[in-house]
Amino acid sequence: MLAVFLKELRTYFTTPIGYIFMGVFLLISGILFTTSNIFAMNSDYSSFLGSLVFIFLLVIPLLTMKILSEERKQKTDQLLLTVPIATGKIITGKFLAAMALYLITMSVTFLYPLFLSFHGKLDAAQIIGSYIGFFLLGASFISIGIFVSSLSDSQASAAILTFCVLIITWIIDFLGGFMPQSIASAVIFTLIIVIGGAAWMYSTTKNTPAAALVILAGMILIGLLYLINKELFFNLIAKTFSWFSLTKRFSDFPMGILKLDAIVYYVSFCGFFLFLTTQRLEKQRWS
Amino acid sequence: MIKAIDLTKRFGKHLAVNKINFEIAKGEVIGFLGPNGAGKSTTMNMITGYIAPSDGQILIDGDDILDDPEKTRRKIGYLPEQPPLYMDMTVKEYLLFVGRLKLVEKHQIKQDMDKICDLVKIGDVQKRLIRNLSKGYKQRVGLAQSLLGNPQLLILDEPTVGLDPKQIIEIRNLIKSLSKDHTIVLSSHILPEISAVCDRVLIISKGNIVASDTPENLAQNLVGMHQLHMRIKGDEQKVRTALEEIQTVKEIVINPSREENALNVVIEAGQNEDIREEVFYALSRNKCPILQMRPMDMSLEEIFLNLTTVEGGQN
Repeated sequence: MLAVFLKELRTYFTTPIGYIFMGVFLLISGILFTTSNIFAMNSDYSSFLGSLVFIFLLVIPLLTMKILSEERKQKTDQLLLTVPIATGKIITGKFLAAMALYLITMSVTFLYPLFLSFHGKLDAAQIIGSYIGFFLLGASFISIGIFVSSLSDSQASAAILTFCVLIITWIIDFLGGFMPQSIASAVIFTLIIVIGGAAWMYSTTKNTPAAALVILAGMILIGLLYLINKELFFNLIAKTFSWFSLTKRFSDFPMGILKLDAIVYYVSFCGFFLFLTTQRLEKQRWS
Repeated sequence: MIKAIDLTKRFGKHLAVNKINFEIAKGEVIGFLGPNGAGKSTTMNMITGYIAPSDGQILIDGDDILDDPEKTRRKIGYLPEQPPLYMDMTVKEYLLFVGRLKLVEKHQIKQDMDKICDLVKIGDVQKRLIRNLSKGYKQRVGLAQSLLGNPQLLILDEPTVGLDPKQIIEIRNLIKSLSKDHTIVLSSHILPEISAVCDRVLIISKGNIVASDTPENLAQNLVGMHQLHMRIKGDEQKVRTALEEIQTVKEIVINPSREENALNVVIEAGQNEDIREEVFYALSRNKCPILQMRPMDMSLEEIFLNLTTVEGGQN
């Protein structure tokens, strides 16, 4: 794991990727900071940090686009998947390397509040909260990026796809507001999910009874929940959508609030995607 | 050391490897011979655990390669068809990285690296970027990589492809010297290459093993026809009558040559017949000088044709 971590981190600096990532991020954040805080003579640092989320959406795909796609393209995955190290450890090493570069870049922005603190009073809790939030949000974005990178052997398509997915997680909460709120539509929505699950089951196992079982179990579950507590289905689509919104949970951090459920959410989100990536690579052996 | 039981691999509907069985003993040098797309690389990928078989299994010293990968993979060094190199690393950095991946002890890595670099003769390029190396050097770095961790079993997929003749001989000699204390499986689509280094050859065609024998036996059994390619000076009619005097000659093909007054002649004799002397005397009696004569070894394609039409039918 350490070997992969060190190698990946080194690669960021022997190829242009690391420099582009740091350069783009620091340039845009620097411009924002100069205009919104220095020129505007505003000491509200946490609102500046809030606007950084958007820059992450742009630059995180750069960090993760080639992390696995390039291995596949150059066929170096034949080395990684035949050495006596578990695939999960290799993925973790790569994830930690991306995180390390991300944190190094973030730490440069510590200079900004330092400048501000000479001229005004800053709310330490808000700033520390924001940085903890960034750490978690970045980890989730990177885990999505790594997963997307495992799907294709082209860096460009991995970058574009990651960007799209990140944008969707950003606006999904907003989209949820447009969804129908009625109980009937929620039932249909859950049925579609069940059918989707069954279709996936069928496509992977080619086993009709297994797929039928998924549909049956899903229907029974929906029926029971409907009978027990109808209200559960009210506005379910929007609730489900907002559950997937990474940025919504972030909004408490810049206020200096550390919510345990948000931290658990981010950590498990990240863990889930890394697990999915490992499974994806393992599955490749069998296809 | 390796045992393959009913090994099968399907890619979608395409059957790449079809229920093959073989066993490789410790210390053997085995060659997989077959044309492109025969299933050699797929089989090797399955031995190393890079891909999993659709059916059947691979046992390394009795352990399934997929059951306890961390234990079994330590025993295997793998050089895939395209060496798994990171172009933006130097040779030294790369080998250090692979050494760590293969869990070689820290103090051991440096020592092993020096030894291996000497062996494959890449000591002088250690500080260069892999991107800038020639194909031959890249191949050697790939070979060095497979030797790290001191595995007992080496799987080499077309180790000499794309090298110049001098490099091919060097790599062959290297494989020979490695065979003293390693079990080696290598693949190729060139017969002489395999016969130069291997104790035993498995011929794979369309996902099936069509023959398994020592190179000598294979050559003897398979080269059914003795064919001579010659360039002869003289008149076509005269040459033909001279050659027809020899009873064992079965077929004569005569074509005009690029050389003036000369003919390109191909003759075929029966199995295990050496007719070179007879041909020489017959032609000299008729005053048709032989400018060139070379016996034609059966090419791989012809061997395949033979195996799949004659012996393949019996399997």
